[in-house]
Amino acid sequence: MQENEQEDIDKPLFFKSWKGMYWLVIGALLFQIILFYAITRYFA
Amino acid sequence: MSILDWSVLLGTILFITVYGIWRTRGAQNIEGFLKGNNREKWWTIGLSVMATQASAITFLSTPGQAYEDGMRFLQFYFGLPIAMVIICISFVPIFYRLKVYTAYEFLESRFDLKTRILAALLFLIQRGLAAGITIYAPSIILSTILGWNINLTNVVLGVLVILYTVSGGTRAVSITQKQQMAVMMGGMIMAGIIVVNLLPPYVSFPDAIQVAGEMGKLNLINFSFDWNDRYNVWSGITGGLFLFMSYFGTDQSQVARYLSGKSMGEIRLGLLFNGLLKIPMQFIILFIGVMVFVFYQFVQPPVYFNKLEKEKVYETAYAERMVKLEQTHHAIYKQKTKHIKALVKGIQSEDAGAIVNAKTNLNGFNKQEKEVRNQVKDLIKEVNPKAETRDTDYVFITFVMQHMPVGMIGLLLAVIFCASMSSTASELNALASTSLIDLYKRSVKEGGSDKHYLNMSKFFTVVWGCLAILFATLASQLDNLIQAVNILGSIFYGTILGIFVVAFYFKYIKANAVFWAAVVAETLVIFIYIRTEIGFLWLNPIGCLLVIFFGYLFQFLRSAKQ
Repeated sequence: MQENEQEDIDKPLFFKSWKGMYWLVIGALLFQIILFYAITRYFA
Repeated sequence: MSILDWSVLLGTILFITVYGIWRTRGAQNIEGFLKGNNREKWWTIGLSVMATQASAITFLSTPGQAYEDGMRFLQFYFGLPIAMVIICISFVPIFYRLKVYTAYEFLESRFDLKTRILAALLFLIQRGLAAGITIYAPSIILSTILGWNINLTNVVLGVLVILYTVSGGTRAVSITQKQQMAVMMGGMIMAGIIVVNLLPPYVSFPDAIQVAGEMGKLNLINFSFDWNDRYNVWSGITGGLFLFMSYFGTDQSQVARYLSGKSMGEIRLGLLFNGLLKIPMQFIILFIGVMVFVFYQFVQPPVYFNKLEKEKVYETAYAERMVKLEQTHHAIYKQKTKHIKALVKGIQSEDAGAIVNAKTNLNGFNKQEKEVRNQVKDLIKEVNPKAETRDTDYVFITFVMQHMPVGMIGLLLAVIFCASMSSTASELNALASTSLIDLYKRSVKEGGSDKHYLNMSKFFTVVWGCLAILFATLASQLDNLIQAVNILGSIFYGTILGIFVVAFYFKYIKANAVFWAAVVAETLVIFIYIRTEIGFLWLNPIGCLLVIFFGYLFQFLRSAKQ
């Protein structure tokens, strides 16, 4: 992946690299799917 | 509607329009008009992206969908966060470094002019039609429920949007979308709180959730796979991923939102903000629909929510049949009442036997209720074969008009107007920038002055705005147009995405191969749509994969020949 100096200026929030932010978004999706699955199962 | 409601409605939409014009007043150049001088911060980008996607139908139709079908529609959005990550990694760095005004500009540097123009034209056709529907869809519902003149509603909505979009361009669109999002989310959260407060005093919020669950409305996740089922985890993640990659990565109405970002980091944060908040936002809207369903377990709902179509039946010889159906519906509701009370009592006393007993009875009555509703729909069809019998779009607005307190009605109508205006503004801005940058400036008049291009941008915004109003007016004479335009989007999106995916990841495939691959793929997608029953969401990955396949094949044959 090409990364230029712009990357150094634009640090993400809370994380050292953008990878952390991407994993946060994917992790949040997985958490929501598990939560929604638990709700569905509870009322099934 | 009361004076207070009118004041809230008009005050909100006029304030946002005037504020948008005022904040972006003064001299501008083409860079400022089309890209907002690249000064937007991540929260503005995130809200702007969300506001563009949230049309009036989101707020009118989604709660109705939850009322009828539960919350499973939420799975449609599971591909969105993944799409945001892929776009941040692949699309954003290229668009940002090339300093493009439109997504299609990049295709000329990667392929050639004809591929750029093909993609731009596909976008203009699809989005031009969609802009008309974005205006028409709320107008038809508001005119039906409130008795407003539909053409006047179309014109008022369209003209307000044209005013600030022409005045301030991209920046005006982004600035107004922040306020519009605040109105939309604030209004919906207040609506949710009021729905729960409107429940009988003996039904608490946890009881209401339990009732919704027991009646099958909290059906959020379905892991079973079915090609023809639009809403399961697999179709949401795969079909939704392709759809949202196309929408956010190649649709100029979204690309323009983030190209106005101050830096690549701001753009990425804005998109990831959308990836984090979109599903919770849809959850809230669907949940409000479920609470409206619970409310209508304690208050009798109309037998049919589109009152205009129902009233038409009363003006004919079929009136007596409608009276009988309404009486049957009322009788069923009366019988249901004691069982719904028994269910709440069972929930409160944690009596599993009482819950099962009440649920069995309620399911029986709900089935009878559904049968009566179907008979009403058949009757409406007999009177008017062209009538749209799906009344879920009218559920939430009917509830608002009949049960919300004074002031809230105005605010929730403002939510619907804001949603329609925010989407339309992005669409007009994107249609104008694509017309100018990809067609006019590239193929009609190169080397014009900045002022000339600025004036032409404004001219194109007005032209597309007028076309959108005209199309919205003509749309009232056509059937099922909303669904038709959604399908149209899926038919074109896959091919456009395929061109971009080839551009980013398949360096082997060159201009002519991708161009003809796109033409063949598009033809096949249309054929598949016409000749098969496959859910239209799947057309997105199919179109994309066909472009890659034929691109490879044509390039291979071309290389072998040479």
